[in-house]
Amino acid sequence: MPILLIVWLAKLAAVATRLRGGSGSALPGYLAERLRPDILKRLAMGLSQGSLIITGTNGKTTTTKLLAAILESNGQAVVVNRSGSNLSRGVISALIANLDWRGRPRRLVGLFEVDEAWVPKVVAALRPRAIVILNLFRDQLDRYGELDRTAKVMSGAIKASQSQVILNADDPLVASLAAGLPHGRVVTFGIDALTIGRLGEDRTADSESCPVCGRALHYRRRYFSHLGIYACPEGHFQRPRATVTAKGVELKAEAGSDLKIMTPAGDLSLTLPLPGLYNVYNALAATAAAQAMAVVPAVIEQVLATAKAAFGRVEAIEYRGRHLLILLIKNPAGFTQILQTFLLGRSGAKVVLAINDNLADGRDVSWLWDVPLEELSASQPVVITSGTRGVNMQLRLKYAGIEAEQTDDPLSALNRWIDRAGPGETIYVLPTYTAMLALRQRLAKTVKLPEMNA
Amino acid sequence: MTQHLTIIHLYAAEMNIYGDRGNIITLIKRLEWRGLEAKVQEVGIGEAYEFEQADIIFAGGGQDRGQVAVGQDLQTKAESLHQAAQAGVTMLTVCGTYQLFGRRFVTLAGEEIPGIGIFGAETVGGSKRMIGNITIETEFGRLVGFENHSGRTRLDSGQAALGRVMRGHGNDGTSKAEGAVMENVYGTYLHGPVLPQNPHFADRLILTALQRKYGTIKLTPLDDTLELAAAAVAGRRPQ
Repeated sequence: MPILLIVWLAKLAAVATRLRGGSGSALPGYLAERLRPDILKRLAMGLSQGSLIITGTNGKTTTTKLLAAILESNGQAVVVNRSGSNLSRGVISALIANLDWRGRPRRLVGLFEVDEAWVPKVVAALRPRAIVILNLFRDQLDRYGELDRTAKVMSGAIKASQSQVILNADDPLVASLAAGLPHGRVVTFGIDALTIGRLGEDRTADSESCPVCGRALHYRRRYFSHLGIYACPEGHFQRPRATVTAKGVELKAEAGSDLKIMTPAGDLSLTLPLPGLYNVYNALAATAAAQAMAVVPAVIEQVLATAKAAFGRVEAIEYRGRHLLILLIKNPAGFTQILQTFLLGRSGAKVVLAINDNLADGRDVSWLWDVPLEELSASQPVVITSGTRGVNMQLRLKYAGIEAEQTDDPLSALNRWIDRAGPGETIYVLPTYTAMLALRQRLAKTVKLPEMNA
Repeated sequence: MTQHLTIIHLYAAEMNIYGDRGNIITLIKRLEWRGLEAKVQEVGIGEAYEFEQADIIFAGGGQDRGQVAVGQDLQTKAESLHQAAQAGVTMLTVCGTYQLFGRRFVTLAGEEIPGIGIFGAETVGGSKRMIGNITIETEFGRLVGFENHSGRTRLDSGQAALGRVMRGHGNDGTSKAEGAVMENVYGTYLHGPVLPQNPHFADRLILTALQRKYGTIKLTPLDDTLELAAAAVAGRRPQ
């Protein structure tokens, strides 16, 4: 079937889906791929300025958003796939949407967030200029099996390609992906600031063993989870020097962070409006990737200083006269960062936890026990649990010394707090992925919310 | 002086990937709630310990990469662990360490990792992953958990299983056997983690340890309404 015909069919499918209230970000691509398995490769050829892909466990959506804003500000119009549509069909859908009815691409630079397991396929088809790997945390292990397997899969994809790789130096497993690559292909980013370290004992750490021999790594500094300055006790492996480095980091909770970033092209100094250490890494990754696209430091600095969080990640919503903060939680590292950034030391915070175990959330909820909720009990938050595994969350909290109420429906839980809260009081909503989507959809009926792709 | 139990967390740093830390937390709290103390000590690779001095030993699951290093180190601890097992020390091993408590683990590539042979069992790496919510029936009650393993463990004819699979894959996906038991030593593939939502299992471990140390016959019952509700939810979720 000629490509243009496939494109039209896919576009019609997108229109039909949107008429029925869907997003049109998966079906068109799925359809096109079924009709022509090499469609991704063919469509990618239309991106005359090439593409970049962003992958990793946490931060894909935020980093993609930051980088898109930087490139747009630099006059490079990008085609981006919708967050959550990060499998090959999502990329294809975005590429098809980018074509006019004559099949000509409007925007010429591709920027795609890609699910870790789909990296080999997308890299082989797109042959991107750069692959950004943010981190590898334990996430949905029941889908991938293991971190090592994921890393191995990615390593294969990298070696089979010519792309530049942009790696998080502070993540041992990610840094190990540079092995065997020529020096010029690898760019790293990391934090080298002496004034920060994690609050309290961080036992959420996963992959903290040497990728070569399996022994536990020694950390000179540990930023959070398994990220930090590390070395194998037997000398097999250690944290590499970072190309792009945050030399000064001052965390200011909800207000964001003051950063001093050093790069080969010059230094940046800014206040990043996104909270938490995890967003410092997202900003560093976006900086390194932007430099690979020849964006000068001044432009990067200016865009980062006005950054806005992606939907559902750190989202402030006014609802029934109360201030809601929706803080997506996906895995122990992310959940711990949210606790430390927003809830630690905030006495009596009203919290709703919405824990689902649908496929996209991860079916195994064992991970809740890797979150150091014990550290939170002294702050005495008041919590209502909800979601398909709300009861299991309630049990976890019991063992952490926090007594929580439980109700199945997250919106009911939210309304219960609103009824008891004072005007202008903040309610912290911590949902897993599908719970976040469902809640947003229901809130959108009465509150004007930014589009899901904003 | 308050009664206390020494809990050894074996390979806490190398095998800590599935929330198994929750099992340690469960033991600690259930002792505290009864006015007893828990002293937790971590013993890792290259660290020696006289395991007969422990009251409860726990070791969790990890990645294959950790399994090789842990397997090698476990050989140096084998004699002490065997003595402890014979002396009746209570032990719970999950997933990766459960496999290493058998005779050996043969990887998909054919590489053989020797175990320490406390259980009469052998594990062979497979290509199919056995994943999902699992319910088993044991002599002390129903256990609910989540399994995630590609290793297939076969028990010798004389080796008792921990329980019978009511829903899920179990040791090898065909025999309906899950886990293994030898005296006070337990092995299982159940994550969840297994102890918080199966309080009767947690209490069995605590009681056998207290029995051996102080001659305790009975435990003060705790209010397990929430634990059982959590198990009920887990048991109703799709596999």
